[in-house]
Amino acid sequence: MRYRNATAYRFLTPYLLIFAIFWIWPIISSFLISFQATRTVPWRFAPTFNWGRLIGDPAFFNALKNTLLILVIQVPVMISLAVVMAVLLNSPLLKARGLYRFAFFAPVVVGEVAYSAVFRLMFSLDFGIVNKLLNSVGLEKIDWFSNVTPAMALIMIAVTWRWAGYNAIIILAGLQSIPDDVYEAATLDRVSKLRQFFYITLPLLKPVIVFCAVLSIIGTMQLFTEPFLITERGGPGGGTETLGLLLYRQGFRSLNFGYASAIAYTMAGLAIAITLVQLWLTREPK
Amino acid sequence: MAAVTLTNVVKRFGTFEVVHGANIDIADGEFVVFVGPSGCGKSTLLRMVAGLEDISGGEIAIGGKVVNDVEPADRGIAMVFQSYALYPHMTVEQNLSFGLRMNGNPKADTQRRVKRAAEILCIDELMQRRPKQLSGGQRQRVAIGRAIVREPQVFLFDEPLSNLDAELRVQMRVEISRLHKELGVTMIYVTHDQTEAMTLADRIVVLKAGNVEQIGAPLDLYDDPANRFVAGFIGSPKMNFIAAQVVDLSNSAATVELVNHGGARLRKPLCGPLPAAGAEVVLGVRPEHFFEAGEGDCDIPVKADVAEHLGSVSYVYADAGPEELIIEREARRQRASSDRFTVSIKAERSLLFDKTGARIR
Ligand SMILES: Nc1ncnc2c1ncn2[C@@H]1O[C@H](COP(=O)(O)OP(=O)(O)OP(=O)(O)O)[C@@H](O)[C@H]1O
Ligand SMILES: [Mg+2]
Repeated sequence: MRYRNATAYRFLTPYLLIFAIFWIWPIISSFLISFQATRTVPWRFAPTFNWGRLIGDPAFFNALKNTLLILVIQVPVMISLAVVMAVLLNSPLLKARGLYRFAFFAPVVVGEVAYSAVFRLMFSLDFGIVNKLLNSVGLEKIDWFSNVTPAMALIMIAVTWRWAGYNAIIILAGLQSIPDDVYEAATLDRVSKLRQFFYITLPLLKPVIVFCAVLSIIGTMQLFTEPFLITERGGPGGGTETLGLLLYRQGFRSLNFGYASAIAYTMAGLAIAITLVQLWLTREPK
Repeated sequence: MAAVTLTNVVKRFGTFEVVHGANIDIADGEFVVFVGPSGCGKSTLLRMVAGLEDISGGEIAIGGKVVNDVEPADRGIAMVFQSYALYPHMTVEQNLSFGLRMNGNPKADTQRRVKRAAEILCIDELMQRRPKQLSGGQRQRVAIGRAIVREPQVFLFDEPLSNLDAELRVQMRVEISRLHKELGVTMIYVTHDQTEAMTLADRIVVLKAGNVEQIGAPLDLYDDPANRFVAGFIGSPKMNFIAAQVVDLSNSAATVELVNHGGARLRKPLCGPLPAAGAEVVLGVRPEHFFEAGEGDCDIPVKADVAEHLGSVSYVYADAGPEELIIEREARRQRASSDRFTVSIKAERSLLFDKTGARIR
């Protein structure tokens, strides 16, 4: 190695050490642990113990089903909403744009516990403002926390509230990179505003939207906070338990690290697989 | 048929007025160039014709019909933008046909028009490429092609060549000229480059700070500018402006003294109202209108400072008192650059302006 490079690597050493200890090693380690039976002392190597259990575990498939259900409903809804919000934010008619931009971004910086507590209050059966509003327009009150369907809806609403603005800001940046004169040319070509959106804006936003979708898929695969805090550990009765929550339950409640590691690898593998499919479906035509 | 008429056209952005009542008549089939320095309102004027900007006052008529409240797409115009404004995600072919497809134009007709435009501009080979995969000149052709397929009555160009290199600019200039001959439709072309204006235009509209300074054929503007601004703007290198004072008035002639040139005097016959005696005036002489000593009506000695030899001609930047003069000379390769010589000015080859810049004829 040339001396100049050696110096550079010496400066990098502290970072590389920490990276190796706290990133690389846990990743390798949990892979190895996933092949060990960790309920016995000492742990012993048993390659099918955790993975075999995973394939036949109804709790795993329940969590997987819940996670994927949230994924296929919440991500498209949120991204669509984010696109609409970004287009509105970009409108020249809008006053106080900076204020809206901040407001849209704010949910991301609010503490998770605080935001979950507020959601629990808002959706509470007897005191919640949401049920009050439903009542006032003549609808039945909904018991958001004790029925599975409303509880899932609540999780999706909460996640969407928290991340839609964030995605809208990213999409807004993409919108602003589309030059005005392209739209002017389209106007001269007698293309209506609506068609301009579908034939010009959306195709040009595609890379940004794909980026947001990938981030959201990865995030949702790991979903933990909302079902943990808002629907109280995946309640009612595991109805909103996600893979992230199952992992936590297995790893840190039952201290079954081998099984938790297998779940973690399944989550990562699924996120990668779904993302690859997504990228393949939306690839640029040659 | 599409003549374009602007009557007292005013444009305000908020309270800020940028075009102050423009009156321009453009005949059917004419090639008119709007020229002026940056920020004078050329683009704004063009965009008002296109319908991309509202008209704050006055009227614009295309083909005899007032279009103030007509949608841009219904005005029978097509525009070529400086930045090309191609649809980045579409192939060249899709770029050309997009407008027609969106409006339900019959497929066969769309294909015919696209094919014709591609032939006119020699872009057949590029039809399946995307704008990213094209050079600047090719993009410009596609942008022009997109205007051609609309078969407009009026073409609008907003500085279409300013992103191209010098050689390509000359080539595209010729092509646009040819296109105008071939299609025979009205074209309005905006540029800040007076060479482009001189070479392309049937008539030039010179603008300055939102005012029309003069409208005329290129050589008329060159020979007979209405004021000092037009005189300075048209012609390259720029006209020289020499400070002078009226020292004597006689029947339809004024004698001026060139104050920075050792009392050299020039008698300038005039046909209009005479200036006041003693008035400060400016004498305009183009670089190509200096003659050998003794050949003109008034000799002034100069000292060459820098010379630019272009081969066929040379431009000498000469110190003459506080004024710098640009003098065109036949290329004399052996001449040293720092010598003194005398040039001569002819009365009929010079122009007189008053202190405000208005022409004294
Ligand atoms: N949207 C706008 N809002 C406010 N002022 C504007 C707007 N567009 C243009 N202007 C002003 O109007 C004036 C004329 O602008 P315009 O773009 O027509 O100039 P131009 O002659 O085309 O200049 P250039 O050669 O630089 O393109 C300028 O002073 C500009 O600042
Ligand atoms: Mg302009």
